This record gives sequence, structure tokens and C-alpha cells, in this order.
Amino acid sequence: MKRFILAFIAAYIFLFVWGWLINGVLLKDIYAQTPNLWRTQTEMLSFFHWILIGQALIVFAFVMLYVAGFADGGVAAGIRLGILLEIAAIGMRMGVYAVQPFPGKLLIYASIGGLIEMIITGAIVGGIYKPAASGKAVS
Amino acid sequence: MEGAHHEVPTLLRPETDFKSHFAWLVLGHLVMAFFFTLLCARFVPAGGARAGATLGILVGLVYAGPHLISFAVQPLTLKILYGWIAGAVIQFAIAGAIVGAIYRPVAEQIMYVKERSR
Repeated sequence: MKRFILAFIAAYIFLFVWGWLINGVLLKDIYAQTPNLWRTQTEMLSFFHWILIGQALIVFAFVMLYVAGFADGGVAAGIRLGILLEIAAIGMRMGVYAVQPFPGKLLIYASIGGLIEMIITGAIVGGIYKPAASGKAVS
Repeated sequence: MEGAHHEVPTLLRPETDFKSHFAWLVLGHLVMAFFFTLLCARFVPAGGARAGATLGILVGLVYAGPHLISFAVQPLTLKILYGWIAGAVIQFAIAGAIVGAIYRPVAEQIMYVKERSR
């Protein structure tokens, strides 16, 4: 349990910082091209807790997935899980692109950022979480 | 969800624009389905609808997180948010159950994560 909580906290801190770096700094100008799609700065601040809850949910479900089916594989298995989840998420993002008029380059940059994010998240979780002595097989 | 989506018309492409981007929607679902199936094969190598559905629920929760974040940064309604979250969890739970029920590797090919990492 202690390792689970440690993995969760470490991955959450990374996800928060990375999310701010990608969306709040690097892609800021691209977001500014479609202001009608986004809340205003002050409005976003009043909804900030939803971002924290959303990131916590992503990390919690990620660690649960890793523990339930990948925990014996270490860092490599964590990275594999991150890659599989993110490529499926890119598919979801392509679906959103079909219905929302945001720039195509946002789809590309956000997907690259997301892939790096999930690879590092997987490495962090795989590096920190260690299963109990007996190897757990998935079924 | 169609009625709920009509409450935020500025966030969505107009009908004709959406039709010209429809291929992205189809391709996106293909990518999602393919990699979700790969994930199922790794997570539940022995198959089974229940294990597949469990995986689907967890994956649905991973993807519910970005919906919460979208709600924080886009002027969506709570109705849309709840619909998207419930939709994601139910969609992946059913998809996982379907993949788990259909996917049956031959016995000698079943390999668990621990064995693969050796």
C-alpha cells in the first residue's frame, strides 16, 4: 500500500508539472488562436479544482491498471502500459478533433506531449511500485 | 447526448464541417479499438468477459480524467461532462467484455507479464 501511495504521489506531481508546461506554457499561443473554445482565465481559475481531480483520476486509474496487470514487469511494463493507453487516447483525441474546431497542429503537439507524458508516468510508476514477494499473475 | 451538445454550439463544428472531418472520427475509433484490444491481450492474456470488463472500467476511468480537465478549461455543461464520463466507462466496460469473451489465445501462447520480462 505504501508503494502504491508513493507511486501515485510521484506520478501525480509529474503529471501536474508536465500538464502546466505543455498546456500552460508551450501550447499557450496555439490555444490563443481559438479563444471561443476555452473558458476565460478567471473562469478557468474558479474551475481549477476540476483539473486537480481529473489528473488525480488519471493517475489513480493508471496505477490501479499497473498494479492489477503489469506490476511484475517493472519500468518496461509501466512504459508499455503508458504507450498503449496513450495511443488509444490519441484515437480519442482524433474523434474530438472531428467534432471540435481546434487547429490540427494542436492535435499533433498535444498527442506528442501526451505520449511523452504517459511514457514517463509509466516509468515512474513501474520504478516505484513493487509487488509483494510472490509474483502476481494476471487472469 | 445530441440535445446536450446543442447547448454549446460554439464548441462544435457546423454540420458540413463535421461531415468533412468524419474520417477523423472513424480513424480515431479504429486506433482506439486496436490499441485497447492490444491492452486487453496483455492485461488479460487468458481472456474472459469479466476480466475484460474490469480492464475496460479502469481504462474508462483513465479517460474520464481528461473529460474533467476539459470541463475546467472549456465552457461545457455538467450534463455533457456526466454524459461523457458515464459514456466512457460504459463504452470501455462493454468493449472489454466483448474482447475478453472473443479473444482466446491457444494455451501454450499464454504468457504472463512476469514471464515476458525474463
